Amino acid sequence: MVASCAVLTNDLQYDLINKNEERKAAVAAFTPPMTSFLAELRTLGVPVVHLQLINREDDPHAERYDGWLPATKDSEGARIVAEFLADTDLTVEKNKDSGFFETELHDRLQELGVDTVVITGMQTQICVQTTAADAFFRGYNVIVPPDAVVSANAEDQARALEWLGSYCATIMPTTELVAAIAQDSLPEFSVVPIP
Amino acid sequence: MTGDVIQLDHGTGGGMSQELIAELIAPRLGAVHSGRMEDSAVLELDVTRIAVTTDSFVVDPIFFGNGDIGKIAVCGTVNDLAVSGAVPRYLTLSLVLEEGFPIADLARVLDSVREAAGQARVEVVAGDTKVVRRGEVDKIFINTAGIGEFAREIELGMGQVSPGDAVIVTGWLGNHSIHILSLREGLGFEERVLSDCAPLDGLVWNVLEDHASQVHCMRDITRGGLGTVLNEVADGAGVSMRIEQSSLPIQQETAMAADMLGVDPLYLANEGNICMFVDADSAADVLELVRWHPYGRAARIVGVVHERAPSAVTMARADGTETVVELLYGAELPRLC
Repeated sequence: MVASCAVLTNDLQYDLINKNEERKAAVAAFTPPMTSFLAELRTLGVPVVHLQLINREDDPHAERYDGWLPATKDSEGARIVAEFLADTDLTVEKNKDSGFFETELHDRLQELGVDTVVITGMQTQICVQTTAADAFFRGYNVIVPPDAVVSANAEDQARALEWLGSYCATIMPTTELVAAIAQDSLPEFSVVPIP
Repeated sequence: MTGDVIQLDHGTGGGMSQELIAELIAPRLGAVHSGRMEDSAVLELDVTRIAVTTDSFVVDPIFFGNGDIGKIAVCGTVNDLAVSGAVPRYLTLSLVLEEGFPIADLARVLDSVREAAGQARVEVVAGDTKVVRRGEVDKIFINTAGIGEFAREIELGMGQVSPGDAVIVTGWLGNHSIHILSLREGLGFEERVLSDCAPLDGLVWNVLEDHASQVHCMRDITRGGLGTVLNEVADGAGVSMRIEQSSLPIQQETAMAADMLGVDPLYLANEGNICMFVDADSAADVLELVRWHPYGRAARIVGVVHERAPSAVTMARADGTETVVELLYGAELPRLC
């Protein structure tokens, strides 16, 4: 088991992937390679942690879709999409963009002895970006595979990946990452710590 | 006190209103409260020249890192008085409360008012409390008005700014806005970037003690940010300014967040940051005084005033190019203060 590494998925939930046609199409293209990637990581013993957005009814800042609130507690739409889920996976509820914001994620990762997080899922320019920044501030090495993140807007995705690479993450395709984990040769990290 | 939450009857002026004031508001404000519960506060002043200001505070969320709506309501008004050169002395405190607002939260806000007023050495001399139905305000809105006395002969203002003046910024730019935005959405920056909310009367006093005649103008860099302040002063004084991007005090995490959000720290609101326009020969001394103060440690000289040119404010970028710092129209981020 590669105890030091964990993969985090963001917002892979029925309500959220079905927000609009653009997003459905982006997620449809992303799903097969992403499920294969997760399966390979599970085989290598990498913990998979799904960050599950639960919108609170009393949160005035929660995004509403045409007047209704998606991904509410215990709703069908809040469930993690079955294709991405396995029995061995962990799920951590969150109420905001960053998976660390007022959640048990940091404690769970510490219990697992994790020092490197692979951040994946949807959307690259929001939850992936904020969770990556938060992880970086908490002292984790952060890896973002550009083919394991998804956005409905290609320009947003490109800009977010550029931001991630320049500030807080190593950008590494899934094939390289899987090989590196299998060979226990994760890359040297060159992100400059914030003073 | 009856109940755990604010009720409409707390604002009717009857017995429950009196109970709220007598059992919660006045005791929580403690020594900084000197109101006599009459229709007006009657004040004896030692001077013939005063500064008066007022501001309303609707920040969301009401509690944040390094402050809350109570602290910001005191600091915002104190700082407006201080940058005019006056010594803040008196505040009014008006609360508009939403029915159902927790009494415990109100107590916490009042504690912050007391602490901030105590630190700024201002007295709360008059107040008002209104309660409105659920949804008519969001939890609590506060208005404060302030009175400051001029302890020395001083004439600060945009008209005093002239070519050659140095431009000093006393604190990190944009931290308050980034903190509040991050807290609202859980962006991950809220623990690394805190609000700069602070009373700056002490910092200003230190500077004016030694350099009253060399400081020409001061502005509280709140909504609209430094970019707005510079444009307003340039237009008001009939001059232009050039700032250096590499000199701007911007925390790394703030730059990261601003870049992610697509906002410019030049235009972000601050709640404990002053822009000073200072005689060039005294700029280094003033900067040293500012940096000596706990709230001024990030201070920098960021630019210089020059004769009026076609562009009011320009900025030399780190890559050597020059850009115009435009006056921001609209697109104000809501409810940051």
